[in-house]
Amino acid sequence: MEKRNDIFYDVWGDNVSLKDLLISMIASIAGTLGGYLLAPNDQPLPLIFGLVGGIVAFIICSFIFKPKRHITKEEEVDS
Amino acid sequence: MDITILLLMVAASVGGAVLYTIIGVAPGTDETAVLAPVTLALVLLEVPPQVVLAFFISAIVAKKLTDSIPVAIAGIPGGVMAAPMVEHAMVLKKYGLPDVSIRKMASGSVIGTLVSIPFSVLVASLIIPYAEAISAHSGLIFFLGAVFLALMSSSKFLSLVIILPFALLIQGLRQLYWDTGIVPPETTVFVSFFLGITIGPIIFKLFELTNKESRNSSQILGFKEISLKKPKPVKGFPNPFSILTKQEVGTSALTSALGTLTFFLSPVGMTIFLGESLTRHIKDPVKRASRAISSMDGLTNAAYLSGTLIPLLAIGLPLSPMAIGPANALFNAPPILTPENNIHHILSMGEIIFASVVGAVIALFITFYATIKYSNEICSFVFKYIPHEAMIGLFAGLVVMLAFMDAGWVNIFGVILIALVSGLLHRYGVNYGVMFMILYAAPWLLGVVGN
Repeated sequence: MEKRNDIFYDVWGDNVSLKDLLISMIASIAGTLGGYLLAPNDQPLPLIFGLVGGIVAFIICSFIFKPKRHITKEEEVDS
Repeated sequence: MDITILLLMVAASVGGAVLYTIIGVAPGTDETAVLAPVTLALVLLEVPPQVVLAFFISAIVAKKLTDSIPVAIAGIPGGVMAAPMVEHAMVLKKYGLPDVSIRKMASGSVIGTLVSIPFSVLVASLIIPYAEAISAHSGLIFFLGAVFLALMSSSKFLSLVIILPFALLIQGLRQLYWDTGIVPPETTVFVSFFLGITIGPIIFKLFELTNKESRNSSQILGFKEISLKKPKPVKGFPNPFSILTKQEVGTSALTSALGTLTFFLSPVGMTIFLGESLTRHIKDPVKRASRAISSMDGLTNAAYLSGTLIPLLAIGLPLSPMAIGPANALFNAPPILTPENNIHHILSMGEIIFASVVGAVIALFITFYATIKYSNEICSFVFKYIPHEAMIGLFAGLVVMLAFMDAGWVNIFGVILIALVSGLLHRYGVNYGVMFMILYAAPWLLGVVGN
């Protein structure tokens, strides 16, 4: 396969890069499961830690990966 | 009522409206996948039931209002339910009227909400006399529900044939967990199987992409092209009744009422059927498209609300595609809520209605205003800054954690198995509703077949 860095796949209705998706999934699973396992064993703390871990991973991923969308603006509508 | 609870309800509704205004715009997000895990987490965190309900209602109203924004501006559905509207919204976009599209759809949503809440209460009170009989035969009813939804789907034969094998898969895994002592005999693994079905199409696609051949054949070169059309700004606070014409108000109210009555049917199917048949007679393409989108949006909103509220008010079992999907956590989130002791049993009818009204009113105010005023800004923000990868990653993370929470490491693989099977079935036209019904009917079904 030739090396191109704009090869994407349609997953769940939008273009994604497989590498970025793989990293995002690993990061999110590490965030949620890591948070869950590391939390003190006192319900419902594991769930809260897990959710926070997932959200942190989501925010980090949103900063390092760019959406694979190209936006063009059409001119203003006068109507 | 306790003032703290009321404040919590308001706060949760505001949070739900803001969060799902953003999620609603994101392309492709499926209602069940984005609403069920979050609602479930709130229930498991032992948030008071009124607060969870207000949050949920606010979230669906907001999500419903905003998932039509990208349809109008870019022709991309923001959710499964917005898909039937794409064709009509593209007509309006072609005539340079994306702002009209957004305003008509959002106003249709408002009418749907206003009609369906009181109407749901009415329908529920008609069902209540039969509620006990319905609950006593829930296994049978879920099975009949699976058959019924199978017959309504695009892939009838496969949907019917798969009922027993899919039930075997579910009960087989449960039995295995019991026999090996992974979970104690009184625990029935439910939530993670449910999420496995939800995330099925994504998992199936990902496994497919691990194969080099299918990877080569399905690759896309370059970014997704999205062209945004800036709508005209609106002054003052928008009034849905002056945005819609009299006929549009009438048709939207009619479809909303019908959508409430058919709460047990597939909302997407009803939307396409009613939306098309009630507007076919209009000749002018712009008028026809705006009548179609306003009434379709009203109907989807009404179907959502009634599908949640009627089973919740009358029966306490998730007997609608909506209740068994996105709203499932309100009916069954063990160990906090179970089919025998859920929001239906804990809250009185008045409390359920009150919480729903609080959620709906707050979401309508925040999201309707934001939708009409800032649709372009919200859309640009989501498209520019929220990568799809991060969103899929987050849902994968949530599912894995909840799978582990349900039955340990082995269950992560059990959920992958369920996801693969349901993803394959979904690909060939078996809809979520059928699979969720089987998930509920499985213990009863194998009890009958096994003897």
